Amino acid sequence: MSELVALSPREALGRALVDAGEADRDVVVVTADVGDATRARYFGERFPDRYFNVGISEQNMVGVATGLALAGYKPYAVAFSMFLMRAWEQIRNSPCRLGIPVRLVGTHSGFSDAYDGASHQSLEDLALMRVLPGMVVIAPSDSCETYEAVLQTVDSRAPVYIRVGRELHLPTSCTLGMKFEVGRGYVVRDGSDVAIISTGIMLHFALEAGRILEERGIDALVAHFPTVQPLDTVLVERIARRTGAIVTVEEHSVRGGLGSAIAETLTQAYPVPMAIMGTKTLGRSAKSPMELLEYYGLTAENIAHRAEELVKTARS
Amino acid sequence: MWAVRNTGELRRLACRARRLVLLMAAYDPGIHLGSSLSVLEILTVLYGTGRVKFLDGSAAKNWLILSKGHAVHAIYALAAISGIVSIDELRETGSLGSVLQNHPELGVNWIDVATSGSLGQGISIGVGIALGLKRRGSNGRVYVVVGDGELDEGQTYEALATAAHYRLGNFIPIIDYNRVQLDGHVDSVRSKGDLQRILSGMGYTVHAVDGHNVEQLAEVLDEVDSSDALNAVIAYTRRGKGVPQIEDTPVQRIPRDLALQLVSQVTCDE
Repeated sequence: MSELVALSPREALGRALVDAGEADRDVVVVTADVGDATRARYFGERFPDRYFNVGISEQNMVGVATGLALAGYKPYAVAFSMFLMRAWEQIRNSPCRLGIPVRLVGTHSGFSDAYDGASHQSLEDLALMRVLPGMVVIAPSDSCETYEAVLQTVDSRAPVYIRVGRELHLPTSCTLGMKFEVGRGYVVRDGSDVAIISTGIMLHFALEAGRILEERGIDALVAHFPTVQPLDTVLVERIARRTGAIVTVEEHSVRGGLGSAIAETLTQAYPVPMAIMGTKTLGRSAKSPMELLEYYGLTAENIAHRAEELVKTARS
Repeated sequence: MWAVRNTGELRRLACRARRLVLLMAAYDPGIHLGSSLSVLEILTVLYGTGRVKFLDGSAAKNWLILSKGHAVHAIYALAAISGIVSIDELRETGSLGSVLQNHPELGVNWIDVATSGSLGQGISIGVGIALGLKRRGSNGRVYVVVGDGELDEGQTYEALATAAHYRLGNFIPIIDYNRVQLDGHVDSVRSKGDLQRILSGMGYTVHAVDGHNVEQLAEVLDEVDSSDALNAVIAYTRRGKGVPQIEDTPVQRIPRDLALQLVSQVTCDE
């Protein structure tokens, strides 16, 4: 695990695909002219006869991956997250309706491709994938979780979507030694006044917000849910009962992502005051993902501020 | 299952299937009658010659994907003749509790890729299967039946180009060229261009046949199956074949009385 700390999410993806291919001869990789950008090409260099580049045709890629799964293989279909979403209907009507495991990996997710701007910034993918019955949806926080998410889905019986960033790397789960398991949520820091729940790279900022709140005398629980679907609802409810107030934060639209999933659960199980933090934009170009996160208010300070406000409201 | 080589027998099989498609149209006006009738001989020859079989679990089997899934009632009719489903089940098609949904679903495990219905996706899936079979060293072949109107979906060309790139000789697209799509004749909705030249330009050897002539269809499939080159079949057909009231029109439905009357008029020399 240690060498993963130094890798970016996409580098970890490339490494993980090769290791999955070493472990299982039925693993195949399909990509859409982004083998280099996604690092899927590492797999192609190691296993040229198990690597299929279908050109710039994501919808076709989903179908080809579905066919490979029907023929008994374990396909990973790798493309930019945004352009994989143009195949939403193919994903619904091919692997999902067939109920067969095609593993979709969307890279350059969220703001991670800062340079290319709105056309390339997928901020809706979790919502689009989560609405599909039976789809497993994973938003790893860093290279360690990305690596594990790939390796642990080789034998998945359900279709899977894994959301991976580009170069921005905030290796929090690596440094904390967290042990990723598909379907599990994690309490990273205990607390009783309010909970901050993150998915994807926001784990880093959620923890930082927890420290800021501690300085201000607020005891915040910080939790991380790399698997958005199936949601660890047992843990969600336990956190709600313990803290009575929840801030969710994701590098994704405030509609339809982790915040929505948690709100849907708690509305029916144990309603508590919530704040859902995320994006309400289609994005824009900038010099770095961090610049965009700050521009759109996804900072530790803002998370802490929202949590403080929520505690005040809950107590009044 | 069948392994019919005799033209008369294939013709009789198609006739019986046509009668059962009409029977289903009588019980469920929602079926796509015109499309099921245009594709009928193509599917009859694929199943009738034993190229594809219902419930074939062998590793070396051939695959059939009916990408134009709305014409699935032609397959249901053949399945009934082979004994896989009963005539009573055919009468229930399209009802809530029936496995014979009006676009195929997973309940019909005797159809290879049951979940077609959204146009343009079957060819890509067929290409994926063919790539997989080729890598495994299997002799299995993949027949994908596509509509002419379906070619409007850009994904069909993405898939055809992918098959051409990988020189997939085990992948055989068969275009049911019935000249009609939902809003009218294909040339009035959106011209398909010179399809033979388009496909040959992509690298395919194109075989044009009369898609209602079982003898021609069987001959072309024999030729294609003995070749490892890139092949495509264009089967020229008539939408609604056998029902003069809707033939060569976009009309899919006929009144129940007419359907029953046609059922009683079709005789297949039994």
